[in-house]
Amino acid sequence: MWTWEVPAYFWLGGMAAGAYVTASLAHGFGSADDRRATAGGYYLAAAALVPCAPLLIADLGRPDRFHHMLRIFKPLSPMNLGAWTLTGFTPIAFARAASHAAGTGLLRGPLGALARLVPTRLAELAGCALGLTLAGYSGVLLAATNIPLWAKSKLLGGLFMASALASGSAAVTLQAARRGAPDATLHRLAALESAASAGEIAVLAGYLTQSGRTARPLTRGRFAAPFWLGAVGAGAVLPLLLHRLAGGRRGRALQSLSAVASLCTIAGSLALRWSIFEAGKDSSEDQSASFELSSG
Amino acid sequence: MIDAYKRLMNVESPPPPKRARGFFTDTSLCIGCKACEVACKQWNQLPADGFAMTGNSYDNTGTLGATTWRHVQFIEQAKANSSRQDQRWLMMSDVCKHCANAACLEACPTGALIRTEFDTVYVQQDICNGCGFCVPACPFGVIDRAPKHGQFEAGTAHKCTLCYDRLKDDMTPACAKSCPTASIQFGDVEELQERARHRLAELKARGETKAELYGMPEGKEATEVGPLHAFFLLLDRPHTYNLPDIPRLPRQTMAQRYGWSAAVGVGFALIGALVFRGRR
Repeated sequence: MWTWEVPAYFWLGGMAAGAYVTASLAHGFGSADDRRATAGGYYLAAAALVPCAPLLIADLGRPDRFHHMLRIFKPLSPMNLGAWTLTGFTPIAFARAASHAAGTGLLRGPLGALARLVPTRLAELAGCALGLTLAGYSGVLLAATNIPLWAKSKLLGGLFMASALASGSAAVTLQAARRGAPDATLHRLAALESAASAGEIAVLAGYLTQSGRTARPLTRGRFAAPFWLGAVGAGAVLPLLLHRLAGGRRGRALQSLSAVASLCTIAGSLALRWSIFEAGKDSSEDQSASFELSSG
Repeated sequence: MIDAYKRLMNVESPPPPKRARGFFTDTSLCIGCKACEVACKQWNQLPADGFAMTGNSYDNTGTLGATTWRHVQFIEQAKANSSRQDQRWLMMSDVCKHCANAACLEACPTGALIRTEFDTVYVQQDICNGCGFCVPACPFGVIDRAPKHGQFEAGTAHKCTLCYDRLKDDMTPACAKSCPTASIQFGDVEELQERARHRLAELKARGETKAELYGMPEGKEATEVGPLHAFFLLLDRPHTYNLPDIPRLPRQTMAQRYGWSAAVGVGFALIGALVFRGRR
């Protein structure tokens, strides 16, 4: 039960949300350069959302009954809340991306005319609210169980949120660097991505401390390598160092270093979801950890 | 307007509530005959699980699962080089606890898991879409999802129904009906609880000092999931029977978990606003 589709969906959904929020922050507060360089984030968010619903549906025992998730609204169940959030966020992200495409002349004809009607500021605000819910609910969903590795600490939701925002801002940085964005914008994006990575490391430290011995299936078991080397090393520490290294540089050097750092963050985000998800299965077999979770 | 909607959508009102029904499983009477397992499988038409041997115990059923709704645990208590008198064989017919606050029911995103008029917890097979979230939510490891491509009700969640169909016709659930020693007793929960208190006092008076009840309203195990409508008389501490001291209800800590998640999200938004601010 529960196979690779779940962490893949959490990763893509989180990245889509992070990219949308990053682009919206730049559009709300940044310069014209910032807006131009980050608008591709809306395309990325929409693209990353395309496989999300299929992945979520594929993992169901009865995929033909996916719509039963939407026959009631029950925010008490993170699974129900998540299904509604994805259902709400996907059209908003597509509308915002279409509105940008119409603005640049990429989307013409009647569809373009329709896309021009999208209230962009409202779409940004509503999209950020739903996006942040999508980014955070996945960790809360895993934690709202009796699997010791997921449930012992209270910080898994925060950890997935930080990882989603790091990977989303990294995705925006990556496309900006590839398209030769101005140095000032890249520096700002790097600062934001580094803040997310640093936050992720801090929340992760708290998560591991609160989990204590319960975290062993993750930190020592067969998932130790993907977790420490992939999620922590390549996914958070290395990008922080690379962005720091890129701090004083300009032009092509800055673009290349930013792109590599962002790729690392994105890959690390997948490693984090996958290793915590899979190690949870080992954790469910750990009787002493289960008793620890239920000790009063 | 609501009435018109209900007529249009064929919304039926739920049946009127009845007295809460449940099981009192007295493990001091269990002889490990597994009649309950067999009766449950027969009545509910659950397929056999094969003849796999665990190899470390006489317990060859192993766990509760999608097609095993009663599981007679065999717990061999024998130290190495101990005399016959020191050895003990505990047996306990495990089952869904039908918690007053059921974690599976709260986790269910489709409303497939419902509370019946008998105050039991039931999976509506035509609603469940097999998301599987109830499985890790249950603090007892009771509910399970049938294999996606199996023969039996593929892909949906299954567990003891307390023989909902028999209850509707005022019949005793199959396991309790078949139990030859009255280890499994069925009835009104409040009456069963009274009976259990008497039985415990009786056993204590006879020298079973370690005997205890598990799942009563006053027990610490009811802190989060509430009283268990299928509760137990145990001859040893709950851990011996693989039962948690305080079964956790995920809802209890959910707000805190969302709170930390939101704090990280808001922090990021604030930093983002600061980073981009004033560069118009």
